[in-house]
Amino acid sequence: MSFPDPTETFRQEARELLEQLEQGLLDLEQNPANDDLINSTFRALHTIKGSGAMFGFTAVANFVHEFETAFDQVRKGQTVATPALIEVALNAKDHIHKLIEQPDTKLAGGEAILVALRAVIDGANAPAAAVPEAPSKGALIELDLDMPAEAPAPATLADLTESIWRIRFHLPGDALVYGTNPLLLLEEIAAIGPCTITALTDAIPSLEAIDPEVTYLGWQVDLTTAEDPSAALDDVFMFLRDGMELSVVKLDGASPAATEPTAPAIAAAPAPIAAPPAKAPVATPKPAKAKAKDTPAPMQEAKAAQPAEKDKAPASSSMRVDAERLDELMDRVGELVIAQARLTQIAAMSQDGNLKTIAEELERLSSGLRDTTMGIRMVPIGTLFSRFRRLVHDLSRDLDKDIEFITTGEDTELDKTMIERLADPLVHLIRNSVDHGLESPEKRLAAGKPPKGTVRLSAVYAGAEVAISVSDDGAGLNTERIRAKAEENGLITAETKLTEQELNQLIFAPGFSTAKEVTSLSGRGVGMDVVKRTIDGLRGSIDVATKPGAGSTMTLRLPLTLAIIDGMLVRVGNGRYTIPLSAVEECVELPDGVEANARGRNFLDIRGSLVPFLRLREVFNTAAPAEPHQKVVIVSSGEGRVGLVVDQIIGNNQTVIKQLSKLHSAIKSFSGATILGDGTVALILDTAHLVGFGQTYVDRNKSEGKAA
Amino acid sequence: MKPFKSGPMKALTLRLQDELFAIEAESVREILDLVPITEVPNAPPFVGGLINVRGRVVPLADLRVMFGMDRPPPDKDTRIVVIEIEIDGEPTVAGVLADKVHDVTDIEAASIEEAPRVGMRWRADFVRGIGKRNGGFIIIPDLGRIFETQGVRTASSPASEERLAS
Amino acid sequence: MSKTILTIDDSASIRQMVVMTLAAAGHEVIEAINGADGYTKATTNTVHAVITDLNMPVLNGIEFIRKYRQHPSSKGVPIILLTTESDEELKRQAKEAGATGWIVKPFKQDQLLAVIKKVTGA
Repeated sequence: MSFPDPTETFRQEARELLEQLEQGLLDLEQNPANDDLINSTFRALHTIKGSGAMFGFTAVANFVHEFETAFDQVRKGQTVATPALIEVALNAKDHIHKLIEQPDTKLAGGEAILVALRAVIDGANAPAAAVPEAPSKGALIELDLDMPAEAPAPATLADLTESIWRIRFHLPGDALVYGTNPLLLLEEIAAIGPCTITALTDAIPSLEAIDPEVTYLGWQVDLTTAEDPSAALDDVFMFLRDGMELSVVKLDGASPAATEPTAPAIAAAPAPIAAPPAKAPVATPKPAKAKAKDTPAPMQEAKAAQPAEKDKAPASSSMRVDAERLDELMDRVGELVIAQARLTQIAAMSQDGNLKTIAEELERLSSGLRDTTMGIRMVPIGTLFSRFRRLVHDLSRDLDKDIEFITTGEDTELDKTMIERLADPLVHLIRNSVDHGLESPEKRLAAGKPPKGTVRLSAVYAGAEVAISVSDDGAGLNTERIRAKAEENGLITAETKLTEQELNQLIFAPGFSTAKEVTSLSGRGVGMDVVKRTIDGLRGSIDVATKPGAGSTMTLRLPLTLAIIDGMLVRVGNGRYTIPLSAVEECVELPDGVEANARGRNFLDIRGSLVPFLRLREVFNTAAPAEPHQKVVIVSSGEGRVGLVVDQIIGNNQTVIKQLSKLHSAIKSFSGATILGDGTVALILDTAHLVGFGQTYVDRNKSEGKAA
Repeated sequence: MKPFKSGPMKALTLRLQDELFAIEAESVREILDLVPITEVPNAPPFVGGLINVRGRVVPLADLRVMFGMDRPPPDKDTRIVVIEIEIDGEPTVAGVLADKVHDVTDIEAASIEEAPRVGMRWRADFVRGIGKRNGGFIIIPDLGRIFETQGVRTASSPASEERLAS
Repeated sequence: MSKTILTIDDSASIRQMVVMTLAAAGHEVIEAINGADGYTKATTNTVHAVITDLNMPVLNGIEFIRKYRQHPSSKGVPIILLTTESDEELKRQAKEAGATGWIVKPFKQDQLLAVIKKVTGA
């Protein structure tokens, strides 16, 4: 299995945490006393610090450490989270972000922020967090020179400089249960040098009293080594220092054959002694109860448990997945759907009952799989919306306008890639609303409006599309100014007749800006045309609605480009085409009389409203003979509808959308292709384009009607 | 025009009407028997169709259009050569109709001449070179150029749509 | 010999680093994102060791250790606590709750492996 770079994972993680941090700070601004918010903000900082240090982002870790210290005062309730504090905190967050993105560049400004932070937190100049130093690890070895020596052994094979150290230890009673394995400890000691190990059984109670999970046994290890093993033993017992009994005694010339069970009463020094492990025969340890009273190191009473940082919000159980892997998964599912369609076809033509049953089951399963997989790529647009809160906050501050920012439809889901591409256009539209749409508080009051302006961001499904709107209750678009500017730029002449819609759409022309002032944010005229281009690139459209004095609404309409959709298969001449089912409103028969109508009057009366229709036979230049009774599939896109006249409606199918290559992608009538159950290719109709095309009939009809 | 590498060029030879053509073996992905072709309405005649190659939707090109040849319907010898070439810097998979596919052969670079500027039936920039084999000529088309020029044309507002709107 | 080790940390990058390190040494790794998730995974799988972070939402490291130690399957399972401070008080609390040992962050990969070897022998 291949792993992504952990540093990159950290970066992504840090980005998310910083976003969380920002939202938390903004929320905190509204609710300064909310403990949960304070805690979750704190935790975000803590994680960034910890992980940052792990992956080499020392500057980040250091900066966050200082930041944390300052913020700790807020946590402890010694300082209130004032807007000024939040402001500095937001700056600090930006700084951390920069540090993470560019870890190598020396970034100034960090110190200034910390100074400002400390200044805002009244007085108390928080020193570097007092992390208690690790206690001295000095090992205490008691050399008990009064220890009865064994008969001095004659010159042994051992090196003259080697000595024998007698190590005796008893573990705390709960050691075994709490995961300590004495065998491993003994192995570690045996690695220091050759040793003889004896079990100390003195503490084992009678059989009835034995609790099999308690450590009764102790051990005595006679270790032969040249150097003082204390440091090494420190290592071995590093987790067990407190609570265990340990003694290390140097035996002068003692023979290593110490098999006698020694008497109890071990004066244990609680000092940790480390001994490198060595392989040696070991008596099977039975759990031995260490007499608690012998343990000189009293366990201090546990102080009040550290206040657990409870986060009330449930941790969302989610996983990171490489986008590429998701794409692969989609491809596989797509292939499966195609194969299953073929199987269904074969089963339909077969007499085999078993085959039919399995084909049905497979269809159900693949449909479910399709839905689940499609769901994975869909991300709620709320993730984008929350970014904008910071934007509006900053804009409000910079422009001195009090703004209410309302979002709805955060749960509306879009394909992940599309959301990312929408970020810039939406930022621009919001900026425009705030900068040019909303008037200054004075002007608003003079106009009888509340001084606080409102910007509303919403997302909602509409058929096979998503509609995302940015609206403000500002001054609205000035149609006359637009007209004047357009004529000035040579886009139209004074005689050109345009509908209001068309006039408003002019604002998307390159270089067009009616803003009287060019503020640093907008007004240079480079924004709207880029927005339009981006939306076009996503095969979407922008609607403009405005009312002078009341405000404007920009609506982005984007197709839901799921990779596998339900489609309606139709036949036009000899070709078969798929229409996205979500765009289909209804199907009717083409009334006989309509055929005879003059060209340009292609309208159907659907329950009182006129719906234009397109004869696809003509659009596609079909030569094959026509069906006597043509069918009409009425599709909708945005506010418009059109009837598509076809020879035959074949049925519904699961459609795996395949992109058209460069060679065909410019043909507007088609948004992609799919492979049918019999293996042939069918083109997918671009309903938005066709509806738009049908709309030209409607508009022409209207204008001709007016002219008449 | 892409220069030829030194050494013999390994190429797949195929027949389009009366002429022999060679496609660099490097570009050839596979050779298929004739499969159902889906017509793309309002597409340029050069790339008028789509085919299914192992679950992938691939455009089908007819070089005979570019070389002004007749285009009789397919027969039992017709094959589809699936190639991968760069169009505008992007690798693209496409199918090419062939009236008959011959073999993979070496064409000596030395024997390849540049297409004459005048007197040729076809646009010179569509032809990388003309090689000789067994006493006959083999045309080496500049596929990249052909696809870029003819294939990726903005088929905007197809004529039929305009007609309807008038 | 390969062991099954449970790693509990709300930081995906740390988890990833731990997984990579242990997997490279031949161990099987199970991941959990907080103490509660860790408790579920610890009690429904056979684990030979647990590495847990301290600061986590829902259930923090020490709370997890306490809870897990009440479950019979935790007997004898070494639990290592990851902590950013070498705070004596903290260590004491951890031991009292039932931790076997600890590692101080930031740590190097070989340190991690050394501790795992120390408490599991593998």
